[in-house]
Amino acid sequence: MPFLELIRWQDVVDILLNSYILFRLYVLFRETYVFRVLTGIAFLWIFQRIAVFFGLILTSWVMQGITAAVALIIIIVFRNEIRSVLQAKNLRLILWGFPKKSVPTTIQIIVESVKALSKRQIGALIVLPAKENLEDVVQGGIPLRGLISKEMITSIFWGDNPVHDGAIIIEEDRIAKVGVILPLSYKNDLPSRYGTRHRAALGLSETTDALVVVVSEETGKVVVAKDSKITDIGSNAMFTKILQEHMGIHEDENAYQQKEKFKMSIAAIISVFFIIGIWFSFSKGLDTLITLEIPVEYTNRNPGFEIVDASVNAVRLHLGGSGALIRSIQPEQIQVKLDLGNAVIGRNIFSITQDSVTLPPGIFLRKVIPSVIEVTLDETIKKEIPLQVDWVGELPEGLILSEIETDPDKIEIIGGKRILGNISTLYTEKVHLDNLKGTGTILANLALTPAALKIAPGSKDKVRIVYVVKPRPK
Amino acid sequence: MCEEIKDLTPQNPAVVFSIKIGKVSCFTSFDPVPEKTFIYHNWFHRDDPSTKKRLTLQPPRWATYSTIQLRETDKGPWRVEISDQNGNLLRILRFSITD
Repeated sequence: MPFLELIRWQDVVDILLNSYILFRLYVLFRETYVFRVLTGIAFLWIFQRIAVFFGLILTSWVMQGITAAVALIIIIVFRNEIRSVLQAKNLRLILWGFPKKSVPTTIQIIVESVKALSKRQIGALIVLPAKENLEDVVQGGIPLRGLISKEMITSIFWGDNPVHDGAIIIEEDRIAKVGVILPLSYKNDLPSRYGTRHRAALGLSETTDALVVVVSEETGKVVVAKDSKITDIGSNAMFTKILQEHMGIHEDENAYQQKEKFKMSIAAIISVFFIIGIWFSFSKGLDTLITLEIPVEYTNRNPGFEIVDASVNAVRLHLGGSGALIRSIQPEQIQVKLDLGNAVIGRNIFSITQDSVTLPPGIFLRKVIPSVIEVTLDETIKKEIPLQVDWVGELPEGLILSEIETDPDKIEIIGGKRILGNISTLYTEKVHLDNLKGTGTILANLALTPAALKIAPGSKDKVRIVYVVKPRPK
Repeated sequence: MCEEIKDLTPQNPAVVFSIKIGKVSCFTSFDPVPEKTFIYHNWFHRDDPSTKKRLTLQPPRWATYSTIQLRETDKGPWRVEISDQNGNLLRILRFSITD
């Protein structure tokens, strides 16, 4: 049988669903430590499967142990990260949304900081060097080497800060120096609205390729100086673009989106291939067979009918599937059910088909023995049946059991009409004579045969036997 | 039910009989008997018919009995259904054959 014919629609759904789950995990956890560790676990698992394939028992065993331990550790160590992803985000975002990149870039921080400074009319001078070294051009300054942040920049230019009058130099994502003195421009044609900060900014831009951002203390207006030119900043978008150009970042939002879409597509394809790989590793060896004996369950039986006979109580199922699935199979996962909805009183013949058998995913039914079951049904009735004591043993010598009385003397029984039709006496369980010495009373249980018979509700299930024992006449 | 009939009188009536006795009898007495008729003694070992005896009744009153010989395989509960010639059940007598 060609292998592809064995792939069911459930398998396709299985692969797609799990691929999507894997893809979503990537989307939610990418660029976090959790994802890196998950990737590590995935590689460990692949390595373990390879070890199994080549029969490296010890390696596969060790890999399996490490994978299990790491999987447990990841949950404990990264519980906060996992919780923040699962709690902070809404369901839509978890299931199909794409979270925006949450880590602000240096440019974003600079833009937001300058916006805040401008709003509060706090004067500021920010230098963003390009390729040229500024060491010989600028003077003073205190090394800081602190990570850039909006709060940090705002506080540096705060009026009471001793270094607020100087410039700061930002290198990559760090504030390299604060309180730096820049060379002033000697241009005479500067507009009167520009102060010392503007002149300093222009001065540096005339001598180097650095970009200098100025926030006016008087007006809060923002300008940038670069290549001996001062440009007024009208909007954040414009500012961002100028900064991007200066830093050599030429991609715009669309290009970024395109890049992200490309990344996602690659991730989706890898997810599908990865899951297909796992699926194949589970489906490998479809010729593995197992035989299980499973009891037959009868469903939809008319409450007024009773099963009085069945040709078998259990059937033998020959099952096929991958070795891994077959090994993990539990008999409780398999059910053989026969629908008695259309059965009639008397003999009924049923065939065990694929529909009668419930199997775990990935397990296939090869053969059923027997494939045909004969079930005899009877109408359930109630019948009052006289009781008789089933005495056994030997009465002590010289005694005669002359009379007995049972309470009750009749018992109401529920059972199949045909069975009850043939029963005219109900017997007790065996009652021993050997210990009877005189008149007395014994409690005895009923012997209900066949077992399908039941005592009707309200009827006693024990029999009280009052017996009279007399001496045998000489 | 009795162990034997002596001078048309049931001896040692009981409900349990030892197999050692070798036989057991069912004694029935009818009074009045308006006309000559028949009755049946149907012997059952558990629910299996064992033997059926046809007995004559003569007016004005009549006593009659049937007896079975006991074998080792006859142990267990027994009953004798006494019915008239039309098959109407008159009485059921129950007893056991034991060791």
